[in-house]
Amino acid sequence: MAVSADAAAPAAAADAEVEKARRATQRAPGEPRNVAWLYILPGLAFYLLFTLAPLAHTVELSLFDWDGLTPGRYIGFANYREAFSDPLVRESFRHSAELIVFYALIPVVLGLLLTALLTRHPVRGFTFYRTALFLPQMLAGVVVAQAWVWIYASDGPLNELLRTIGLGSLARPWLGDFSWALPAIGGIGTWVTYGLCMVLFIAGAQNIPTSLYDAARVDGAGPLREFFAVTLPGLKNEIVVAFVLTTINALRSFDLIYNTNQGGPGTTTYVPSLYMYQNAFVYNRVGYAAAIAVILAATIFALAFLVIYLTGRGEER
Amino acid sequence: MAAGTVVLVAALATACGGTPGASQSSVNTSKEVQKTGFDKLGPVNLTVWSYDNQDPGLEPVLKELSANFTNKYPNVKITMVFKSFNDLVNVVPRALASDQGPDITEGNQGYQTDAALVKARLIIPLDPYIKAYGWDDWYSDSTWSIFRWTDDGKTFGQGPKWGVAQTGQNVAVFANTEKLKALGYDPANMPTTFDDFNAMLADIRQKLPKNEPVIQFGNNEGYGTIHMYGGIQAAYVDPQSVRDWIQHVPGSSYDTPENIQALKTYQEWASNGYFNSDYNAKKYDQSAADFGKGQGVFWMGGDWDSSIIKAGLGDNVMVMNIPPGASGTWASIGATSGPWHISAKTKYPDVAAAWLDYVIASPEAQKLMYAQQQIPAIAGAETPSGDPYLGQVAAAWQQVAGDDGLMLYTDWASPTMYNTLASHFQNLLAGKESPEDMAKAVQADWEKFDKTLK
Repeated sequence: MAVSADAAAPAAAADAEVEKARRATQRAPGEPRNVAWLYILPGLAFYLLFTLAPLAHTVELSLFDWDGLTPGRYIGFANYREAFSDPLVRESFRHSAELIVFYALIPVVLGLLLTALLTRHPVRGFTFYRTALFLPQMLAGVVVAQAWVWIYASDGPLNELLRTIGLGSLARPWLGDFSWALPAIGGIGTWVTYGLCMVLFIAGAQNIPTSLYDAARVDGAGPLREFFAVTLPGLKNEIVVAFVLTTINALRSFDLIYNTNQGGPGTTTYVPSLYMYQNAFVYNRVGYAAAIAVILAATIFALAFLVIYLTGRGEER
Repeated sequence: MAAGTVVLVAALATACGGTPGASQSSVNTSKEVQKTGFDKLGPVNLTVWSYDNQDPGLEPVLKELSANFTNKYPNVKITMVFKSFNDLVNVVPRALASDQGPDITEGNQGYQTDAALVKARLIIPLDPYIKAYGWDDWYSDSTWSIFRWTDDGKTFGQGPKWGVAQTGQNVAVFANTEKLKALGYDPANMPTTFDDFNAMLADIRQKLPKNEPVIQFGNNEGYGTIHMYGGIQAAYVDPQSVRDWIQHVPGSSYDTPENIQALKTYQEWASNGYFNSDYNAKKYDQSAADFGKGQGVFWMGGDWDSSIIKAGLGDNVMVMNIPPGASGTWASIGATSGPWHISAKTKYPDVAAAWLDYVIASPEAQKLMYAQQQIPAIAGAETPSGDPYLGQVAAAWQQVAGDDGLMLYTDWASPTMYNTLASHFQNLLAGKESPEDMAKAVQADWEKFDKTLK
C-alpha cells in the first residue's frame, strides 16, 4: 500500500490533508488490502511462534555457556570457535556428507528407475506397487530402526541370505562393524526415502504430455533415449524438490542412528544432530548444542539454496 | 523447514522457561518429618521414574510394593513409569525442572546426572529423613559417599546425602558349568588369581570351535565395555585409586603404567578372539539372554541380569568375581543400583520418603528383591537359604563389598566420560587405538572437566 505521488502535489494545506486521509484508505483496483494480513495471520503466527522465534532463541542460546538448569553465562562466539575446532564436529559433518549419497543420490536414481518402469507401459497392480514402495516413508523412524537392527543382526535375515547363496564370507554384524556401520545405516535411509522420490516422479511423469512420447516414438527413440529425451527433462522440477527434501533429511538424520548405534562403534556413525543431542541432554551443554544446531541449520540452508540455484539457473520461476 | 532442526533444542529451552539467567527455585526448608498418618492428606498422586526394568529386574518388586503402599494409604496413588537407562537420565533434569516431572526418580551417581540435579536444586537433601528414620546404618561410609555432594555439585563424596538405593550392583563372572565340565574344568575349583583365570581363557579359546565365543559380550549401548573392563582393571590397579579418580581427588590419573597394562590385557582379549564378533551390534541384556541360551562359556556383567541368565541356564550356571591380581584384593566394578531422589518440586516429600523407606528396608521389600535374584544393598539383609545360585550372587557381592573392592563406575568421572569411554574402548578393542593413546585421551577428558571444578 502506498500513498500515490500526486498526494504531495501543491494544494491548499487543509485540502491536502483531507485528500491524503482519503487516499490512505482507498487504493487502486487490484492493490492488496490490509485485510490480506488477516488471511495470512494464522499461518504467519504459527511460523513466527514455532519456527522463527525458536530459531532466534537458539541463536541467542548459542552465545551462552548454559547447562539448561542453572543461570547461564554470556560467552560471545566461544561456542562457535570450539565447534569449528572440535574434531568430532568435523567428523560428524563428514558422515553427513556420506549419508547424502544414501539419503538423496541413490533414492533419486532409484526413484527415476522405478518411474521409468512403472509409467512406460500399463502395469497390472500399479496402485499396489506404488503403495507398497511408498510404505517405508510412512513408518515411524523407531519402528524402521528396530526392524533393521533385526535384519542386520549377525544371525538376521540379511546374513542368512548371504550364507544361503554362498556368500557367507560377506556376512558380518553390519551395525557393529567399523567400516560398514555407516553404509548400513545409509542403506536404511535409502529404503525409507526412495518411495518418496518415486511418488514425486510418478506424479510428475503424469503431467508430461503423451504427445511428447508419441513424437519420440515416431522418431524411433528406444526406451533409453525416450527416458533421457522426454522423461528426465520433464521431471526436472520434481527432481529438484526431491533432492532438496532428501538432502535435508540426510543432514537432519537422528532417529535411525539414535535407535541403532548411538554413534558407535567408536565414533563411526556420529552425525551433527546426534552430537547436538548429546551436548544438550547428556552433557548439559545447551549453549554448545545450540551452536552446533545453528551451524547445521546454516549448512542445510546453504545446501538447499545451492541445489535450487544449480538446477534452476537460467530458468524462469 | 531447515529451521526444524533447531526446534529440538529451542523447544526444550522455551519449555522450561529457560532463558539463561533465569533464577533458581529455592529448596523448601523442611519442618518436622511426618512419618505416618498420610491418609489425612486427601488425594496424593506420586509419579515415580525408574530404569530398573531389566527383564524383569526390580520392576515387579517396585510395582508390588507400590500396590501395598496404596493398600495402606488408599488416598496415595503411585504411578510407576519405567524407561530405559539412557532415556531416563537424558530427560530427567529437564523433567524435574518442569512442573510435570516425577516426584521420585532414579538419577545416576556421578557428574553427568546427580551433580547437575544437585547444582540446579532439582532434588532435596535426604539428611532430615536419614535422621528421622535412622537410615544411617544402611550403608558403609564408602557407600554413602556415592550419594554425597556439596551444594554446588562440584565435590563428590562430601556434603549432604541426596540419594538412597535399593540393591547392590556387582559386575561378576557368570560361567556355564556344563560347558566348563565338557572342557575339563571343575566349576567347584575355579582359578583364584587373575593370571590363572587369564590362562584359562586362553586354554578355552584353543579348545572351543572357532565360531564359538569364550565370553558372550553385548556392547551396543556402550556400557558393556565399561563393565567388562572393570574386572581386568581391578587386577592391575588399586580400587581406591580408581574411586579417587572418579571423585576427582587431586593427582589422580587414568594414564598410569598399571592401567595401560590392564588396557593391553583387555585389547588382547579382543584380538585373541574371546568375544562374539557382533558385540558392538548386540545389546547388553540380549547378550545375557544369549548366554542363557548356551552361547559362550562366560558372561561378565551386572548381577542385576542374573534372573535373565537363570531363566536360560537353570542350574547349569555359577557366579564368581574376576580373581584378584598381585594385591590379592577382590575388586570389581559396581556400586548400588540407581540413587532414588525426591524432587524439590514435589508437594509431598514426606510421603515420598515413607515410600522410599518401605521399598528399600521393609521385610516385604527384601523378600521380593531376593525373589527376583536382586541383592538388597542395605546392611543386615539375610540371604534366604535353599537357593544356591542366589547365594553365589549374594556371596560375590559380599566378597567385593567386604574387601572394600567396589570400584564404582568409571563413567561417573565427568559428564562426557560415558561416551568418551564407550567410543575409545570400541576403538581399543578393534585395534584402532593403542592402550597408551586411549589412556591419554580418557585422562584429557578428566582434566578438561577437572578444571571446571576449581
